[in-house]
Amino acid sequence: MLDQIPIFLQALLDQTGAIHFSFGNLIMIIIGSIMIYLAIAKHYEPLLLVGIGFSCIVANVPGPPDDVPGGQAISALLYAVKDGGLFHYAYMGVEKLIIPPLIFLGVGAMTDFGPMIANPRLVILGAGAHLGIFVALILAKMLGFTLSEAGAIGLIGGADGPMAIFVAVKLAPHLLGPISVAAYSYMALMPMIQPPVMRLLTTKAERQIPMAQSRKVTKLEKIAFPVVIAIIVNLFFPPVAPLITMLMLGNLLKEVGVTDRLSKTAAGGLMNVIIIILTVAIGSTMAADKFLTFQTLEIVVLGLIAFLFGTGSGVVTAKIMNLFLKTKINPLIGSAGIASVPIAARVSHIVAHQENPHNFLIYHAMGPNLAGVFGTAISGGILLALLGVGN
Amino acid sequence: MTAIVPDTLQGALIVSVIDFFLSFVIISGIGVVLALFPLLNRLAHFRMRARPAAATTRAKRAASSGKAVISDNGEGMVEQDDIAAIAAAVLVVMDGAPHRILHIEPTQRSAGWVAEGRVAHHGSHIPKS
Repeated sequence: MLDQIPIFLQALLDQTGAIHFSFGNLIMIIIGSIMIYLAIAKHYEPLLLVGIGFSCIVANVPGPPDDVPGGQAISALLYAVKDGGLFHYAYMGVEKLIIPPLIFLGVGAMTDFGPMIANPRLVILGAGAHLGIFVALILAKMLGFTLSEAGAIGLIGGADGPMAIFVAVKLAPHLLGPISVAAYSYMALMPMIQPPVMRLLTTKAERQIPMAQSRKVTKLEKIAFPVVIAIIVNLFFPPVAPLITMLMLGNLLKEVGVTDRLSKTAAGGLMNVIIIILTVAIGSTMAADKFLTFQTLEIVVLGLIAFLFGTGSGVVTAKIMNLFLKTKINPLIGSAGIASVPIAARVSHIVAHQENPHNFLIYHAMGPNLAGVFGTAISGGILLALLGVGN
Repeated sequence: MTAIVPDTLQGALIVSVIDFFLSFVIISGIGVVLALFPLLNRLAHFRMRARPAAATTRAKRAASSGKAVISDNGEGMVEQDDIAAIAAAVLVVMDGAPHRILHIEPTQRSAGWVAEGRVAHHGSHIPKS
């Protein structure tokens, strides 16, 4: 009788995931915990990192082995993603490109495009700050990725999560996990990544340049803006039209002033639900066996390079513009052109404010920051068209 | 749809150069379109200037036919001082933007309707013997 006890205990243990716990799982749980720590202690994009970090932790707690012969031990969360139910459809929402346009709808409903309309000169920075995309693309190709994979990896440098997901699904769906994690993680870490590059490329005097108040943008202009941009994008960039069209619809709902219920829902309740689904879907892709690979490491490093070059090229573009402008602009707003609304604009403002406490650049930085969204969309659209997956 | 560029390092360079250059061109194009937006305001100002002229014509017509432009409640005209005060308040609220006050009337106008509604409501609860 007593000699049966170890056998029963072993059988019981086999039903749990404890014996399948690996060193890789431990590393990923630590990574997930760091994400939650950064969100809580440092306030780095808590809306994203709490959900991604938590899902990452849960995705790395192994469950019993799969029923198939020789099946791997996968976590309950991944099992749920695989076999239907809420988590399955959450992931499908990302994979089938339903969630990214809905995020853009919410972003549009909570964004004031006034700074971009008020200072059209600064929209150039939205293109200038995207050199990182192409540096990462070329480096990825040199490392042996296919051109489609390299394009998807490069788009991390666009610092636009939904757009990175959108392009990754079309160009390299098998890399969706590491690309989306790298994109969102670096966006959250921008307050750490950008300032050293910004300071390296500017002098103290340049960082202290004050900027004059922008003109007031009328309601008529704000209503015309989404309509005009939607027409331009649908006409010239059909590959990314679903995203920008929803962005502009959300903005129109906000600006017309007669659809408050809809704009509040798009920017509030709907956006929150979508963020929860998105973070769970992204975090659930971070299982150790899939994530802790050399390829993922390469993508993470390339993403960082893209962000560094994007930040640098934005600042340099602003400095080049200053050679031709009578009224100089503060080159720190150039780095905001990398997109990642509004984090990059906030970083520009904070760095400038540290140099000159009387300088408030946030409104000025929002112009290139918003233009960066279009810059990423344009780069992504051209990339999809050239690589033959336009539709 | 097939890929236009070859899957080589040279292809990656071509894609990058074309994409980066075109991004500048297109973003600049959007900038040019945005630079034209103030014209929309001028158009709106023009329309707003045209409207008061039309309103003046209507007022003259109304005056010639004996009708008041600013309505009364049937019990007396709105005081000129009140009109001036309301117009000044509207100007402040509109932040000096072109506007036109379409209608001013005493607030008592709707009192009759409200009273009638209350009577009907109270009447519906009278106990019947």
